[in-house]
Amino acid sequence: MSRRIVPRFVEGLLRGQPTARARPDDAEAQEMRTAIELRAARLGSDSPREEFVTDLHRRLAGAMAEHPPASGRAPIGTRRQVVIGTGLAAASAATGLVVGRVLPRSDEQRPPTATADGVLEPNTGSWHTVGAGADLSDGHAMTFDLGSVRGFVHRTGSGLRAVSGVCTHQGCSLWLDAAAQQLRCPCHSTSFSLDGATLTHQLPIAPPPLPHLQVRENNGAIEVFAPTEEA
Amino acid sequence: MTARDNEVRRLRPGTVRTPRSRGGLQPVTDAAYPDWDAVYRDNVTWVYRLMYGKVGNQPDAEDLTAEVFMTALRPMRVSATVPEVRKYLRMTARTVLAAYWADRMGRQITTIDVDVPEADDPAPETGHAHDTVGRLLAHLPDNYRRILELRFLQSFSIREAAGQMGVSVANAKVLQYRALRMAAQSGQEGTR
Repeated sequence: MSRRIVPRFVEGLLRGQPTARARPDDAEAQEMRTAIELRAARLGSDSPREEFVTDLHRRLAGAMAEHPPASGRAPIGTRRQVVIGTGLAAASAATGLVVGRVLPRSDEQRPPTATADGVLEPNTGSWHTVGAGADLSDGHAMTFDLGSVRGFVHRTGSGLRAVSGVCTHQGCSLWLDAAAQQLRCPCHSTSFSLDGATLTHQLPIAPPPLPHLQVRENNGAIEVFAPTEEA
Repeated sequence: MTARDNEVRRLRPGTVRTPRSRGGLQPVTDAAYPDWDAVYRDNVTWVYRLMYGKVGNQPDAEDLTAEVFMTALRPMRVSATVPEVRKYLRMTARTVLAAYWADRMGRQITTIDVDVPEADDPAPETGHAHDTVGRLLAHLPDNYRRILELRFLQSFSIREAAGQMGVSVANAKVLQYRALRMAAQSGQEGTR
């Protein structure tokens, strides 16, 4: 029975859910610790959401106005108060609900197409192998990091497509939300399609779509055209 | 926001008590924050990162960060210096995290060490996360390393990960838990 503790904990962790109660033994606690370490090392996953920072600021302003700093020691805020305040945010996060604005689909507001001027073409480039073609089946995506350029390749019915893995707003590293088939920005909850189109954002102006990279399959290897390494 | 604050701090070095090169920041030892608002804005990012590194999920990291500031701001002396404020926030964070784990797991899963030497970076461990994980993964057999990378670092679903590795979903699950167990065991030997 207790052997389910770690799998359940890991499932929740990978889904981004709050930790549920359990009573692990020493070995299980060590596995949980390792799972947290691994999860927290995901690139770009550790920046606070802008709306969380703003919302907490607002709540703190309320609390400070109600009970200005006293000379004596103020009663310590209980966890319950805090949890009530964040309930909505936590619930949205847990269910993957995106409160950001969805880009209008109307004709006049169509996001600029990223084909004509949106291809990343370095002055001096060469083809770099980023993986084996056999590892990437139809409808799947993988990440690559060539040092100078990092991004995501995915395979569609019409072939391979590669986009930059850096958010066009302020340069945060995108992460692949494979389940939702989206690239997400940890900084301001912007999301892009695997093909680079801006899907949702919470910014005054929609960030531009992600630049594409040239990608090809050559002798079974997936290759991306990227800057030649500096000597 | 924080990047800009850090920039400002770098331009006003103040008195350097313990020069440390990491991060390029220097503590402003005699400076104080003008008000609680400044305390919050300057410290919310590292407190959140610290908590995220300790719990690994966003909703809990947000709750815990909120609790740290709700708890710490009111009794804080306005005249406290920047390092004092940071130390106080870190101590509060330790207490808040300890209460959280006691409630959730009946024991401490991760802890915050407050006896770190006064550092420029108020949450020094976050910068090491990638190194630690790199070392952890390096010791594992290829398929173990791959499943952990796909699932934890790249957020693939178990089905996606199984597809990438050319194994069944059931196999991928087994692989994942064996890999985690081995990583946990080697991590325990490797660290403390």
